[in-house]
Amino acid sequence: MKNIIYKAALPLLLILNTVNAQTINWGSASKEKHILNANIGAEYGVVFGLGYGYKLNNKLFPMTVGAGFSVPSGNNLLDDFKVKAGANVRWVKVSDFQFSTIVQGVFRRFENENAAIANFGLDMTGIVGYYRPKWFGGVEVGFDKAIVTHFRHTEHYKEIYPDVKNGWYEPATGGNFYYGIQAGYTFSRQDMYVKLGNIVSQDFKTKPLLPFYVQIGYNYKL
Amino acid sequence: MTVSKKKNVAVAAFTLLTLLFSCTDGRTIDGPGNLVPKTVDQDSSLPSIFANGAMLHSEAFGPENGTIVIALHGGPGGDYRYLLNAKDLATEGFRVVFYDQRGSGLSQRFPKKSYTSLGAGAADVMYDELHAVIAHYRKNPGQKVVLLGHSWGAILASGYAGKYPDDIQGLVLCEPGGLKWNDIEDYVKESRSFKLWSEILNDAAYMDQFISGKEDQHEILDYKMSMLASKNDITGEGVFDPSMSWRSGAVVMDALFDVGEKYNIDFSQGLQNYSGPVLFFYSERNKAYPDSWAQKITSSYYHPTIVKISGVGHDGIITNSNAWNNQTKPKIINLIEGL
Repeated sequence: MKNIIYKAALPLLLILNTVNAQTINWGSASKEKHILNANIGAEYGVVFGLGYGYKLNNKLFPMTVGAGFSVPSGNNLLDDFKVKAGANVRWVKVSDFQFSTIVQGVFRRFENENAAIANFGLDMTGIVGYYRPKWFGGVEVGFDKAIVTHFRHTEHYKEIYPDVKNGWYEPATGGNFYYGIQAGYTFSRQDMYVKLGNIVSQDFKTKPLLPFYVQIGYNYKL
Repeated sequence: MTVSKKKNVAVAAFTLLTLLFSCTDGRTIDGPGNLVPKTVDQDSSLPSIFANGAMLHSEAFGPENGTIVIALHGGPGGDYRYLLNAKDLATEGFRVVFYDQRGSGLSQRFPKKSYTSLGAGAADVMYDELHAVIAHYRKNPGQKVVLLGHSWGAILASGYAGKYPDDIQGLVLCEPGGLKWNDIEDYVKESRSFKLWSEILNDAAYMDQFISGKEDQHEILDYKMSMLASKNDITGEGVFDPSMSWRSGAVVMDALFDVGEKYNIDFSQGLQNYSGPVLFFYSERNKAYPDSWAQKITSSYYHPTIVKISGVGHDGIITNSNAWNNQTKPKIINLIEGL
């Protein structure tokens, strides 16, 4: 069963293409099509990320598609990770103000001494920003939903609770809203940007252990 | 994208979503017994008593008329599984009682507001519950009672001694973080001061994007709490000896911390009226509990006997069989036999 779902999800990730939580300057006049991204920050832990984006110069709705991968800090570097996949589309442009959305499929994994947890989710962000050729600033609001999740518990946890039920769980096991600001500076095929904001659970009351996010990122365009 | 490509994408996405949502066995993370064990009100096969309006997971060992030793687990929100070495005291002729406090372990769960709406009185609910547990197991008025509290359990035992000084005849305390709220806060900060980039802290934070629970979704919140690493290099918990549990009580822990912080609860209140023996244990390998901290905390008690247990951390005072048999247990037996 697990294999079926993993295999079935793979084409969707490919269909969606991929995007790191792409923060780009829509106001930049650069013609390069490839965007390499590196970022560091705090989002459910101290995280490091790498990404690749491909720019599609549709006149009406310019967009980027690409892939992003991030890992949280810790002794075991690859036991937890997140892959995001999707598209960043600019929908509206009024003077220097622009509105764009990012829709991304998410696959993430968590492992510790108690369990290995894998999740397929969806992350949607809306951004309204003021974009100039050399700089930009904006506000973003988003929702990250953990849609379907697989639990596999270790022998250690089975000692605690022998009857624990492994397998797929749904409906959605979790979801968090986030909202914040972003700003960046563009120079010779490069962007430096910073994003920060708050995270709140879908009930608008509960907060995660780390109730904020911060990201400092760097884009290099080829 | 052409029309046929769009159609293919739509079909692929629909197929995938259908597969995803039809292959999950219909399990939900808040289903009783799925991810965490059921509580006594959900599973009648578990040993239980009814005390102060709550069904409590509880069992007792040893002769019914022996001196009662009541084991009080830590947390708040822990359970008594890790204290079961204390069952040995039954072979000495004592009546050893274990119970999971309300909202903790396998005992009945209650909404967060049932605690927070009481304000500072939330602590009284815990005292009244202990009072009811003592009444349940005490078979005659002359039967002596000794409280054996570990961590939060030692704080609870101290608060109880202040409120009901004549109801108990002995106190055995293992590393209460503090008695005054500021001390408790300081201890918690010190004992959980993990490095920002550490695996333990990042694991705890990373989990929040997989699972989120609302205020009183006990199964979800308890599971998330159970998922936290059992090892703590600062206090030595789980490092030098394993410490087993059944289920965490996230809501009661959260509620009691909220109340403690808001009302600055002082668990040393009334302790001057308790003049019975106090046996105070602390561990050699808990870095958050140096000699100076032990001196500070023990200053609230009248003539305490202070014992430092070597070679163990916070839990090891009881969970480490070697330390329990050779250091902790003999001192406890001495105290009880001297009553």
